[in-house]
Amino acid sequence: MGIAFDYAPDRPEHIEAILNGLDRYNPETTTIFQDYVTQQCEDRTYDCYANLALLKLYQFNPHLTRDEPTTNILVKALTVFPSPDFSLLLHLLPPHILSPTSTSSASGPTPAAGDAPLSEAVQKLSLLNSLLEQANYSGFWATLDSDDLYADLIADVNGFEELMRVRIASCVGQGCREVERGVCEGWLNLSGKEFEGFVTEICGWGIDHSDGSTAVIRIPVNKENEAKGTVVREEVRFDQFSRVIRRAYEQPA
Amino acid sequence: MALYQREPYTTADRSKVAANESDEEENALVEDYKEQVHFDDDMGELDRTASFGTSGGPHDMQAQLTAAATPLEYGAALDTKFASYDNYCNLFHYILNSEGPVDLEVPTYFWAWDVIDEFIYQFESFCRYRNRIARQEPSSDDAQLLRDNPNTWGCYSVLNVLYSLIQRSQINEQLDSMKRNEDPNQVAGEYGTRPLYRMLGYFSIIGLLRVHCLLGDFSLALKTLDDIELNKKAMFARVMAAHFTTYYYVGFSYMMMRRYADAIRMFSHILVYVSRTKNFQKNAQYDSVSKKNDQMYALIAICVAFNPTKLDDTIHTALREKYGDQLVRLQRGGPEALPLFEDLFRTACPKFISPTPPDFDTPELNVDPVDHHCRIFMEEVKNTMWSPTVKSYLKLYTTMDLKKLAGFLEVEPEKLRGWLLVNKQRSRQVRWSEGALLDGEVVNGSDLDYAMQGDLIHVSEAKVGRRLVDWYLRNLARTY
Repeated sequence: MGIAFDYAPDRPEHIEAILNGLDRYNPETTTIFQDYVTQQCEDRTYDCYANLALLKLYQFNPHLTRDEPTTNILVKALTVFPSPDFSLLLHLLPPHILSPTSTSSASGPTPAAGDAPLSEAVQKLSLLNSLLEQANYSGFWATLDSDDLYADLIADVNGFEELMRVRIASCVGQGCREVERGVCEGWLNLSGKEFEGFVTEICGWGIDHSDGSTAVIRIPVNKENEAKGTVVREEVRFDQFSRVIRRAYEQPA
Repeated sequence: MALYQREPYTTADRSKVAANESDEEENALVEDYKEQVHFDDDMGELDRTASFGTSGGPHDMQAQLTAAATPLEYGAALDTKFASYDNYCNLFHYILNSEGPVDLEVPTYFWAWDVIDEFIYQFESFCRYRNRIARQEPSSDDAQLLRDNPNTWGCYSVLNVLYSLIQRSQINEQLDSMKRNEDPNQVAGEYGTRPLYRMLGYFSIIGLLRVHCLLGDFSLALKTLDDIELNKKAMFARVMAAHFTTYYYVGFSYMMMRRYADAIRMFSHILVYVSRTKNFQKNAQYDSVSKKNDQMYALIAICVAFNPTKLDDTIHTALREKYGDQLVRLQRGGPEALPLFEDLFRTACPKFISPTPPDFDTPELNVDPVDHHCRIFMEEVKNTMWSPTVKSYLKLYTTMDLKKLAGFLEVEPEKLRGWLLVNKQRSRQVRWSEGALLDGEVVNGSDLDYAMQGDLIHVSEAKVGRRLVDWYLRNLARTY
């Protein structure tokens, strides 16, 4: 059995109660959801369904919107790529948020210094999301390093870089059996001892130096990367033969 | 007891009134006129109870019920839209907040569906109109009027009506007990046992599905249907328009959650149903269905491009007739397919709305919500546009060198490595197997699978074995 989209293993009871009742529309619950987002950022849990409910409250009550929880939610959603979560959250943000004109017009009346407008932040995060979804992991790390704004955006999310590395590693593990060390270092944005430690201890992969110049990362076989050909056989049920067998009894010999 | 107090509203012989159309029209006109007069009287403060409570006679009631389920004429003036909102408020207030359940004789069997459908439609078109005015004519009279009445057709009041109808009728509890094969009347309560409330409650669930979808909240849209079982025995199946609407919005929500196999299943189910019952449908009803029908074919085309599947024969033939060329181009992928994806999405998506009053002072902030949702969707299309190319090559080999393939495709090897990973990830999709609509498990939806060993791509295929049992049984039956 799979996991339902609205299920989160670490969701506290009071949040569950709000989500299942009409209080999810009550503007007074905004602060509760915001605290919950902070909690998710701190203890590395994740609850997309509850975060969607907060963005919905913002959607209905724009005056309550706060930038920080919004961007934190989006940053958290990056850590579960390539799931559709990031897009689903974007759908609930105000329609002008992604339009390129809004950045230029927002820069006109000069926003408070050091306080980047929400739309700029969201567009920056969308760029990261696209890079991840295109499996351009080294591009993702390069972009993340390219602008100080990114550092501000991910600052609240505890262990963001590590969470991203684990996620990228699990995606790579599904598609590959062996990866050249250089490529893998780029994907994980690690090198030297740090890289070796992460790959062997956290991922449980092996490093093979036998080839001499280029080391190879070996990923143990799992269900996804074995890519075994299968033949779908038809399922034969006994009752399909019931008629034949009945006839055999009706007309013996 | 409370019922009898309301007697004046319900004593008239409804069947006669309903039969006499001209009389009814006249009443509606009178009612319209009254509303407008009332509207002019106090434009700023729209009083919700006046027009209903005071001017009510039996005929008014019936006209109001009919009016509530009848579309406004095309391009109706803004006052009419305001007045219509007032009427709905009064009507629902009366149904929900009278002392005890009211005893209404509704004009038709489908009334409950029609009234919810029309209510949401008017909400949708009002929001879209308001947004457009704020974008295009922010200094017009209409804009001023809209600015002065920010609460008319507010999202909270619309949701409030739908949720109240659901709660009053205890419909979720009823459906839940029906699922467990128990008697729903046990939990229905004073209101829910009455067909009027039960139907209104039931269709309000479908209405919520639609509203959430229009607002871009696709997971909540699907969550709303937790208690409804999608099958031919479901209550909505008795009202064609409801049946159709449900599957369209469920399918669309699945598509936006990137569960393409589930979306295809939904669209196929209803399109097959429509094509089989086409001949029994009354023409007028069929016309309204026919536009959505084409939209759903467009959506199927999109989903199939994302997730190639074998379709039902009827659907496949119709799809080729309607979107033959486009389908081929969608399935080929690449940058040339992007405008086509966008076109199809725009023609087939719901008319998304923004729930809050627009910013009349900065018109450029009032982006059409359709553009917003389309932009997000296109991002996904762009990220996966090379998957068809990758697949078409890999199908031909069992092992392939990455650099060699990159040479064929004229891209850098690192880019191709990315495409391969993307396609691999996207071939894994959540698919429903049992339980609520949001449940599901991750399955490999593609018959092609592969893994990279350094630069070597190992390709494997899932083949369908020969089907022997059927053949064997048929021949066995023949020889006996």
